[in-house]
Amino acid sequence: MDKCFHCGDPCLSGSVKHRDKSFCCQGCATVFDILHDNDLSYYYELQDAPGTSPKISEQKYAYLDQQEIIDKLVEFTEDGVQVVSFVIPSMHCSSCIWVLEHLHKLEPNVRKAFVNFPKKSVRITYDSNSLSLRELVELLTRLGYEPNISLDDMDAKKASVDRSLVYKLGIAGFAFGNIMSLSLPDYFDLHDFWLSQFRPLFRYLMFCFSLPVVFYSASDYFINAYKGLRSKVLNIDFPLALGIAVLFIRSTYEVFLDSGSGFFDSLTGLVFFLLLGKFFQQKTYAFLSFERDYKSYFPIAVTLLRRTGEQVEEEQVPVYQLQKGDRILLRNEELLPADAVLIKGDAHIDYSFVTGESQPVHKHSGDKLFAGGRQQGSVLELEITKPVEQSYLTQLWSDEVFSKRRQTNFRTITDSISQRFTIAILLIAVLSTTFWLFYDASKALQVFTAVLIIACPCAIALSAPFTLGNLLRIYGKHEMYLKDAEVIERMAKVDTIVFDKTGTITSNKETKISYHGQPIPKELFPIIVSVLRGSNHPLSRGLYAHLNLEETIALDSFIEHTGKGMEATYQGTIIKIGSASFVGAATTEKEVNKTRVFIKVNGTIYGRYVFQNVYRKGVERLFEALAPNQELMVLSGDNDGEKKYLQTIFPKGTQMYFNQTPTNKLDFIKQLQADGKSVMMVGDGLNDAGALAQSDVGIVVSENVNVFSPACDGILAASQLVQLDKFIALSTRGIQIIKWSFIFSLFYNIIGTSFAVTGNLLPVVAAILMPLSSISIVAFTTFASRLSEKILNKEEKSKHDKSHRLEHATDIILQ
Amino acid sequence: MNIMFLLLGVSLLVALIFLIIFIATVRSGQYDDMYTPSVRMLFEDGTPSDKNATENNKSKTTKNN
Amino acid sequence: MEVEKFYYDNKIVRNFVVATIFWGIVGMAVGLLLAFLFLFPNLTEGISWLSYGRLRPLHTNAVIFAFVGNAIFAGVYYSSQRLLKARMFSDTLSKIHFWGWQLIILSAAITLPLGLTSTKEYAELEWPIDIAVAVVWLIFGINLIGTMIRRRQRHLYVALWFYLATFVTVTVLYVVNNLQIPVTFTKSYSVYSGVQDALVQWWYGHNAVAFFLTTPFLGLMYYFVPKAANRPIYSYRLSIVHFWSLIFIYIWAGPHHLLYTSLPAWAQSLGVAFSIMLLAPSWGGMINGLLTLRGAWDKVRTDPVLKFMVVAITGYGMATFEGPMLSLKNVNAIAHFTDWIVAHVHVGALAWNGFLAFGMIYWLVPRLFRTNLYSVKLANAHFWIGTLGIVLYTIPLYVAGFTQASMWRQFNPDGTLRYANFMETVVEIMPMYWLRAIGGTLYILGAFILLYNIVQTARSGSKVTDDAAEAMPLEKVSKSRVKSEGWHSWLERRPIKLTVYATIAILIGGMVQIIPSLLVDDYVPKISTVTPYTPLELEGRDLYIREGCVSCHTQMVRPFRSETERYGGEYSKSGEYIYDRPFLWGSKRTGPDLQRVGGKYSDSWHFNHMYSPESTSSGSIMPSYRWLITDELDTRHIEKKMEVLVQLGTPYTEEDIANARTSMQEQAKQIVENLYGDPDFVRTYEGEMAYAEENNLPFVKMEDREIVAMIAYLQRLGTDIRLESSNDGDEVTFND
Repeated sequence: MDKCFHCGDPCLSGSVKHRDKSFCCQGCATVFDILHDNDLSYYYELQDAPGTSPKISEQKYAYLDQQEIIDKLVEFTEDGVQVVSFVIPSMHCSSCIWVLEHLHKLEPNVRKAFVNFPKKSVRITYDSNSLSLRELVELLTRLGYEPNISLDDMDAKKASVDRSLVYKLGIAGFAFGNIMSLSLPDYFDLHDFWLSQFRPLFRYLMFCFSLPVVFYSASDYFINAYKGLRSKVLNIDFPLALGIAVLFIRSTYEVFLDSGSGFFDSLTGLVFFLLLGKFFQQKTYAFLSFERDYKSYFPIAVTLLRRTGEQVEEEQVPVYQLQKGDRILLRNEELLPADAVLIKGDAHIDYSFVTGESQPVHKHSGDKLFAGGRQQGSVLELEITKPVEQSYLTQLWSDEVFSKRRQTNFRTITDSISQRFTIAILLIAVLSTTFWLFYDASKALQVFTAVLIIACPCAIALSAPFTLGNLLRIYGKHEMYLKDAEVIERMAKVDTIVFDKTGTITSNKETKISYHGQPIPKELFPIIVSVLRGSNHPLSRGLYAHLNLEETIALDSFIEHTGKGMEATYQGTIIKIGSASFVGAATTEKEVNKTRVFIKVNGTIYGRYVFQNVYRKGVERLFEALAPNQELMVLSGDNDGEKKYLQTIFPKGTQMYFNQTPTNKLDFIKQLQADGKSVMMVGDGLNDAGALAQSDVGIVVSENVNVFSPACDGILAASQLVQLDKFIALSTRGIQIIKWSFIFSLFYNIIGTSFAVTGNLLPVVAAILMPLSSISIVAFTTFASRLSEKILNKEEKSKHDKSHRLEHATDIILQ
Repeated sequence: MNIMFLLLGVSLLVALIFLIIFIATVRSGQYDDMYTPSVRMLFEDGTPSDKNATENNKSKTTKNN
Repeated sequence: MEVEKFYYDNKIVRNFVVATIFWGIVGMAVGLLLAFLFLFPNLTEGISWLSYGRLRPLHTNAVIFAFVGNAIFAGVYYSSQRLLKARMFSDTLSKIHFWGWQLIILSAAITLPLGLTSTKEYAELEWPIDIAVAVVWLIFGINLIGTMIRRRQRHLYVALWFYLATFVTVTVLYVVNNLQIPVTFTKSYSVYSGVQDALVQWWYGHNAVAFFLTTPFLGLMYYFVPKAANRPIYSYRLSIVHFWSLIFIYIWAGPHHLLYTSLPAWAQSLGVAFSIMLLAPSWGGMINGLLTLRGAWDKVRTDPVLKFMVVAITGYGMATFEGPMLSLKNVNAIAHFTDWIVAHVHVGALAWNGFLAFGMIYWLVPRLFRTNLYSVKLANAHFWIGTLGIVLYTIPLYVAGFTQASMWRQFNPDGTLRYANFMETVVEIMPMYWLRAIGGTLYILGAFILLYNIVQTARSGSKVTDDAAEAMPLEKVSKSRVKSEGWHSWLERRPIKLTVYATIAILIGGMVQIIPSLLVDDYVPKISTVTPYTPLELEGRDLYIREGCVSCHTQMVRPFRSETERYGGEYSKSGEYIYDRPFLWGSKRTGPDLQRVGGKYSDSWHFNHMYSPESTSSGSIMPSYRWLITDELDTRHIEKKMEVLVQLGTPYTEEDIANARTSMQEQAKQIVENLYGDPDFVRTYEGEMAYAEENNLPFVKMEDREIVAMIAYLQRLGTDIRLESSNDGDEVTFND
């Protein structure tokens, strides 16, 4: 079976041969034509099969003609020029960048298109008089670069990037470099003839260099220390700020009274390294977001049916204007934004966003439909029963968990140690000072400052950032993308792990298809396959691929009853393939929740193909490995259909709860925490969102990290779920490393302090100790954490070619 | 060594200029995207007129490789 | 706003490529001749303009400013246009730049062999050419920055930053270092004297290496390596970090070239500190370059372009590692003045600059002529021959360096020098010089292969003078956008403006700064007995400068026992140099140090030595300087010279200048008398005179010949300080 020249997917049913190249679908072929005819074929030279199969749907973007929606979406408008930024999930390789930035060749009214690959976003400037936003979006969609436009884009919150850390780092580095060189001669050539001539100049220069460092680069430490004091905590910033302040004051004093060269090099070096640590610790994945809510999934607008007298007219209205009782249309592939009752049409709702269950549920008119479902098949007419915010799913977000930031009372390991540390050094300082007051009062003040300077816990402050920073990168390399470094510390503390079932421990990619019933005669298969081939329904395509039969025949007749099944005749044989009701089969109660396709030939029902979720490979091993250290639980929104099976794969006595509403899940986690448990929630769908947010560590399992996942602390590639135990082990290892380097740096502090209390701390000593300790800590932590990477086994990395390419890209971005 | 005043002065001046440029550049968002530019520079500008050229350039490189 | 069609200017790129190859071969050829002069000192016997001392600066200037320079411009003009999506700012400026630069090189190629030099390394050119260089360089800058302003690509790719840095810093450095006061159109004196001059020179000298041989080539690397490998640079972030850290600290290093000299110790430490710090940013570049090819090694195996680049980057890595090591005081103590330094420099030059340029040319020319490389085989052959050449060139010189260093420093148990005669140390390393010459031959052979290959390629292809391209112009900036974009594109053009203003500011600032340093330096400790040179010695010194003696002889006795032992008691004091414009410390000891040579030998010895070095010191590889003995000394400008020096603070009195000529005659007579002490001299000289008389030919009296001035200068060297200790100066009587 050959691969699509455009998108590289296997050419199944409905594949096209075109210009002696084969395409998986007409869509791909069209894109090829468009690019080829505008001589953009270079697209295919950069990468082979770089494309994505386009999803065409004519009415989908009608709402983009609405002025108020346009105003919300575009970044700015000015005399006929509009600028708009889109996130395009399907962007994945250099070809994508190229073709998007050459959009103007396809559409002359596009003036400029500028891609930010790490963000997977494109910023387009276009001539809005001759090209409407809708046309633009539809053009992109036709090319297979469907932008993601969601309710989220409606509440305009253009967050301005904060680059202050870079400035601070730059300035600190600059000052550090120059001060070092100015102070070095002072150390080595004390009695040099010329130096005596230039010493004052040099010292004043150093002083000038240090000013921006203290008052700008180091400002955060003072602020945080102050905040800490106000809330009666001695966080790590306090001793740091103290050290910096004392360093600066004493050095300035020395310079202006010409009593010494001061500690400006240590001062700037300290700040520089600290900022470096900060910078290193904030490892971000531009293409991921950890803050999503249902808005990122929901459409901006729906088709409202407005009755004026007799005739009915369609109208696009923003979803938040929906009222109870409104009539709306829901087309194929459209998402239902609010709870509603099915009036007309035959619904096959895919709730995978919500529950992780990928098989569509069949509904009849009069049934209740919940927000978040996606229609597969024909057009539906619905009546809204609840406005968006109060729907079954969305009301979850009214819970306070989402409104208020996560309880910040979590004490990082660094802060908890700095508490004791600070008290200790203050004590030492006071004691030694008092001693000197009696022994040699002239030196007392100098000793006091010396202690505070040398005891400045810069090495301690660096331990955590560099360890965790390294770990973050390692996790990232193994497709576990964490929100921030603190997550690692929390992960190490977890004692309870709660799993969602569907889509989390089961895969929603592949399904197990099993046949039940009397055997089907061989000669029938060609006919069955041919029938399936005619239909685009996911089940049909799935089954077609499952049977995988090359020989097909030309049917005499073929009718597809959308959402029900297919009916066809071949040389007198009448064949029906479809749902139980369609073929008129009696269904047993226990199978009612299963997805089935029935085969009926000439009035006899041969049997049914049952589609079942497959549990991810290796989960048994995972649970086994976890059981000793953590308590495991299952929290599923589905019925207990598979409870039996679950009990076999989970360790004895694992608690399992079924039919859980999103709110149930949230409260359940709350309860656990109330019992003093530290909980990790592993889920996937929006219905887990509450639990994820409430839990101490919320991990989302995702088949493809490029499609959105609900707000969480970490996104885990599905293929890596089975490594979860190792990821946790790694986190605990990280904490150990940090503790070790604490001991390490304390040892430096002791040496330094011994200099200080004995009243002979020369600048050069500080100048050596400070960078030495910092660098050795950085080296140690880096080395140790890289070493502990061995815990994870690499070969489990996903091999899927496209996500692989992206990996390579992100891999580079990580550098 | 009055000359030191000159050399220090000039060196510092140059260094400071570059520091200012650095900050200005970061502000202007030049460094917001640290990946795309490295790919963008690889694209040959093929225009209809000399399309074939880019192609035989490519074929050549492939031959050399 | 429509799509703009425009054309890249390939003609200018092509011109620079041609110039690169041409001057490359010329420069290397001169280098090769020099290598052979080590083996056959009298290869160019008697031809003054082909003597080692005069050709050496020609070689360095040709390879640095002609070969590397043109390569830089070729690469910059090609890549900038494409990175900025714009044709060069002005074709006229491009033309002026190209032809101006070639003219400068030509004039250098003429003036240097004529002995018109300031002897400041890499800044030998005399003042009129200096000005021309400054002007042409500025034109280049305007052209580059102009293009940046007109760019259609918002983001400035990292390579462009390296180009920009190159322009700014080189401008500043060049101007500051070349401040001179002209005497005549072809002669000038540096405004700095002695130690100060040395400091400025090496502050420049080092940064010339940094910003002419390194930063621009890093820029080229960041463009051509990804292009040739057709894969993005390993880490773009790293390249940015690496650029800025390099820029923030490179400007300082330099004094490390003067370790253990009479330069202030702290200035030396400062140089060391920076050189060490430089390791990080330098290697950032190397790692980034090499890792870019990670996973493309199969390509590297087959593609000569990539091969050249890999070796180039590796060479860069080695050189930038060795550099900081050499700047460590104790390493430097050994390596300085030996062939080790020559080896170090050539690793950088042959591998990093040479090979990157070759790789670039092989990649560029087929594109410029829209065809395929004539022969990949030949290119590969070039690569292997060249690489072998580099190995054969550098390794023997390292060995030579170690050998020299160790021999210079060895003592006998009784405390005398093991190899008291300098010649022994020279004879010892001759085999190494042979190998070096062979290596050099191979390397230049490679260059000829390139020439042939490129010519054939050009023949087979069709010129593409203008390369078509199209791009959208940058959007115009308007109030509303500035608001919505956080003054995005406004600041965009900011860096460039800043750079222009900055450069001007620096220049003015620099000028203002200079005034104090024009005065005699009050920081250098005075030595009462150090007095200005007599007119004749002054002329002699200018001859010493003209003949480029400084290329082989240092005038700097470092404070080591091994050196004070060998070079007569006292190590050099900064106070001794206050009247030296320019300083003549030198940086290589092919021959012995001359700081204390005054009074060491008789005048006759010097006379014979200049006539035939072998005769006085057997095994010497110093060429003979006959023309000094025959030619008449040009004393026309002596008063002017003294006046200029007075301006600069040398305390010549009115009458000193008035009596200049008489004082010259007296001193000359004295020397000739001394020469008469040698019977052979008398015989030949008298004979000559008689012969000229009877055939009444024009005859120049010995008193008026150059050799006398030269002897006067040599005999003066380092003698002042001896007065201080014990007043046993014999021919220092003129000092009153």
